[in-house]
Amino acid sequence: MRSIDRLFEKSSRALAQRTSRRSLLAALGQVLTGAALIPLLPIDRSARAATPADGHAKADKAAVDDPKSCDYWKYCAVDGFLCSCCGGSANSCPPGTTPSPITWIGTCHNPSDQRDYIVSYNDCCGKVSCGNCECNRNEREKPMYRPSRNNDLNWCMANADSNYHCSVSVILGVAEK
Amino acid sequence: MNSTMITRAAWLSLAACAPLLAATPPLPAEHLTVTTVPPNDAHRIYVLDEAFSNEIDSRVHLFDGNTYRRLGQIDTGFNPGFNLSPDGKTSVVATTYFARGSRGKRTDVVEFTDNSTLSVTHEIVLPSKRAMTLPTYFNVGYSSDGRFVYVSYVTPAASFGVLDPAKSTVIGEIDTAGCVLVIPSGPNRVSSLCESGKLLTVTLDAQGHEASRAFSDAFFDPDTDPVFVQGVPMTGGYVFISFLGEVHEIDFTGAAPAIKAPWSLVSAAEKGHWRPGGTQMGAIQRHSNKLYVAMHEGGEGSHKDGGSEIWVFDMTSHRRIARWPLAAHKLAHVLALQVSQDDAPLLFAATDHADLAVFDALTGELRHVEKQMGETPWLILTP
Repeated sequence: MRSIDRLFEKSSRALAQRTSRRSLLAALGQVLTGAALIPLLPIDRSARAATPADGHAKADKAAVDDPKSCDYWKYCAVDGFLCSCCGGSANSCPPGTTPSPITWIGTCHNPSDQRDYIVSYNDCCGKVSCGNCECNRNEREKPMYRPSRNNDLNWCMANADSNYHCSVSVILGVAEK
Repeated sequence: MNSTMITRAAWLSLAACAPLLAATPPLPAEHLTVTTVPPNDAHRIYVLDEAFSNEIDSRVHLFDGNTYRRLGQIDTGFNPGFNLSPDGKTSVVATTYFARGSRGKRTDVVEFTDNSTLSVTHEIVLPSKRAMTLPTYFNVGYSSDGRFVYVSYVTPAASFGVLDPAKSTVIGEIDTAGCVLVIPSGPNRVSSLCESGKLLTVTLDAQGHEASRAFSDAFFDPDTDPVFVQGVPMTGGYVFISFLGEVHEIDFTGAAPAIKAPWSLVSAAEKGHWRPGGTQMGAIQRHSNKLYVAMHEGGEGSHKDGGSEIWVFDMTSHRRIARWPLAAHKLAHVLALQVSQDDAPLLFAATDHADLAVFDALTGELRHVEKQMGETPWLILTP
């Protein structure tokens, strides 16, 4: 966490040197810098939560509950390799890799409890692409001019070792109704 | 047949062939050479293979649409940007290397390759800020006169670098207030796409430093119908296509971008059901004024799905003039489209099975399928 703090401080200082106070605040609101900050943000995107009827084809029940399946409900905005197929799990990075402190987020619907969850998609960094279980779902994903919703950016960009290995999905909380 | 009999049979066969072997002159000694690249041709394409499952090893394949031959390769490192100089003689690659192959100290660099030799001629080391993202026309690009090269930076704070390719120097960095990518226009302007739906345009002075900046009016709504960042070059500017199929034509020839009223690829009945998608979803043939778009049936979130059909539009009348289903050719969905700019144009389509299909762009006739054009061919450029 200390390194995350350092990184955050460094990037904040760099931003502050180049931007006005207003644009700094706007940038901070848009780019989520670590899970600890996210619950503080006023997010109400439940109306936009993924449903099985969205772009991703309807999946069978077993796949929706299987963290090694691209159809797993939490993966509604993953574009990359699933860490659960690479030695990690849906919410842990594989051995020897480092989580990205910055991330994009999504809001996914869990059909088991009928709740919408805010999910942080962190990349795991420092090894070459895992290459296993490629998953490309993009529900409510936006182009890179909205970075906090974009999964094309390599979110390992700010890591000491910015090679991309795989992606995890971490529940941050229930989306407010 | 025992082993003795087999040996006898072999000797008899050899004896029968011996006079023939003796009459055939031996092959001459060979000289090892290096093939030269043929002169530039309108039907040459540069196919960027992101090599997604081994991303530190991306590359660009040169392919000849006349002979269906591969002409050579440019190595492009990790998560690269790629573009061509205005005269087509130089390839520019913005990329990243790690000191120990897959790990170690990161070096961001812009490399210049002579397209007549495919050798790297020089490079410019960048600050470690290069935007690592999908390849588009706008990750790295030249000013129209070739004087400057612009490189998109995202740390995730957004800015861009201004480079002097002649002197191999970084001139400076320009903050873009959260707007992303570099859309060059004229000799000294760079536009970027903003979350507000506007374009930021920065005008440079003769030395490559910021002289002024201005925002356009908002031309799209990023919440309801965002535009793809993969702009499609047209005469004097670019077309930006939205997720739902709106076509925004922007003329970049003036001091400020001129944004035309949008038109739609889809009818009211098709809207939301048929969508553009992929990694390079459109291409424009400038002489015939035709727009080719990879279209698929899908819902929200399907914007990266490739096209099951290629739709052809007249850019003047905005009418759809053809639909070319790809299943008829047993082709997978098309992720990337490019068309040549000559009078006998070819349409190139890279599929999500990494095949490259070559069509007659006037008739839609399938001319050739080149199997396995790398692993993940996501961007195609023409000189």
